[in-house]
Amino acid sequence: MTGRWRAFLRLFAVQGAWNYERMLGVGMGYAAEPMLEDLKSADPGRHAEAVVRSAEFFNCHPYLAGLALGAMVRAEYDGVPGPQILRLRTALSSPLGALGDQIFWAGVLPSLLGAALVLVAFGHGLWAIGLFLALYNLCRLVTAVWGIQAGAASGMQVGSRITGSWLAGTAERIGSAAGFLVGLAVPMIIAWFLGGSDTRFIAAVLGVAGVTLGLTRRYGTVLTSLRLGLAALLLALLFFRGLA
Amino acid sequence: MHGLSLSTLATLLGWGTLVGMDLVSVPQMMIARPLVAGSVAGLILGDPEAGLRVGVLMELFALDVLAVGAVRYPDYGPATVAAVLAAVGQRWQVALGPAVAVALLTAAAGGWSMRFIRHANARSIQARSAALSAGESTAIRTLQYLGLARDLARSVLLTTLGLLLARLASPLVGPRLWPMALAAIAVGLAAVLDGALRSAGQGKRLYWLAAGLTAGTLWVLIR
Repeated sequence: MTGRWRAFLRLFAVQGAWNYERMLGVGMGYAAEPMLEDLKSADPGRHAEAVVRSAEFFNCHPYLAGLALGAMVRAEYDGVPGPQILRLRTALSSPLGALGDQIFWAGVLPSLLGAALVLVAFGHGLWAIGLFLALYNLCRLVTAVWGIQAGAASGMQVGSRITGSWLAGTAERIGSAAGFLVGLAVPMIIAWFLGGSDTRFIAAVLGVAGVTLGLTRRYGTVLTSLRLGLAALLLALLFFRGLA
Repeated sequence: MHGLSLSTLATLLGWGTLVGMDLVSVPQMMIARPLVAGSVAGLILGDPEAGLRVGVLMELFALDVLAVGAVRYPDYGPATVAAVLAAVGQRWQVALGPAVAVALLTAAAGGWSMRFIRHANARSIQARSAALSAGESTAIRTLQYLGLARDLARSVLLTTLGLLLARLASPLVGPRLWPMALAAIAVGLAAVLDGALRSAGQGKRLYWLAAGLTAGTLWVLIR
């Protein structure tokens, strides 16, 4: 197995040692190790410096980490001065984080989950889950393979490679799809839960949901859905047990 | 949940652990999503309906969370696995409320546990700063494996906590608890809408969200 493929596999655990000090840094250093092996025999001094740099502070979306990894390793082999590589590392953090968050966390993931929930509402629960996992991981794997190859091919020019790539356009388009699919799924899945229920029951659910939504929109930093959920469950337990 | 074999409980614990590690550490292939975690837990326990119902409802809560950067967020995966145990073998309409309570408590504990191991990982880095500065690859490998081991331990403990809570909650489930299901569904609905509105902001996505909600509502009304 080549160093690049070993690095690719290690990227699946790039957040394995996530921490508040170096964030993804240790995971990146761990993934970089097999790709830097050839440098050890060619230039041991440079190799040691490259290993130090590889585990410095770094943060970006985990699925796009390969893009940065490939670029930084290529820069090490090209003999680019260390401070320039560290600047590249810093410069890549924010854009790769923002793009990855938009594409995956706020795009592909809610889109496919929305679609899966629609399928659940149609009675295809297990198919929905299988399809969700297959499609999501296909997107993720294709991105990861492309990322490490594009990064390694671009080196210090990785910025222009990102600008001219599919990433920016996808972020906008997938956001609209996510909005639509989650919107479509919500009434369908609520109907899946409440189908055949008494009208008063449905009205009560919608009423409580409306009040809760108002509270989370207004005081969301304190009144999270988790806290409100616990409070609502406790109130329901106490109030209705009292009545019973 | 009476009559559960030790092997079934061990399988459930193993599944919860995998799910817990998937959230952040490895491999992030989305088995940590409640929809997946709950459904598989339901299959393990021989009650796919309970797994799916709990999984879908907890997914509504999880869709409220945008797991970006260094924020602390609830760990809904192992929490959902545990919640399915609380709901299994009972009518979902009465079991859903206590099951969601188990899930929310476990998820909150999961959020705190992640913060704890992130600080522990940072302390390990500080302890090996000299080796890292010398470019020792073994130090990086050690830190990585320690981080993974910590998350493994965290996931085992979190799933165990959840299963214990489920064990406590399960005997309490009864017909009088249907209002808790109402509350759980209502807050789940509010959570997913809150998350969708926050992600949509004021841009084009908001219109697409409105279009989706309209289409979904029309489908519900005319079917």
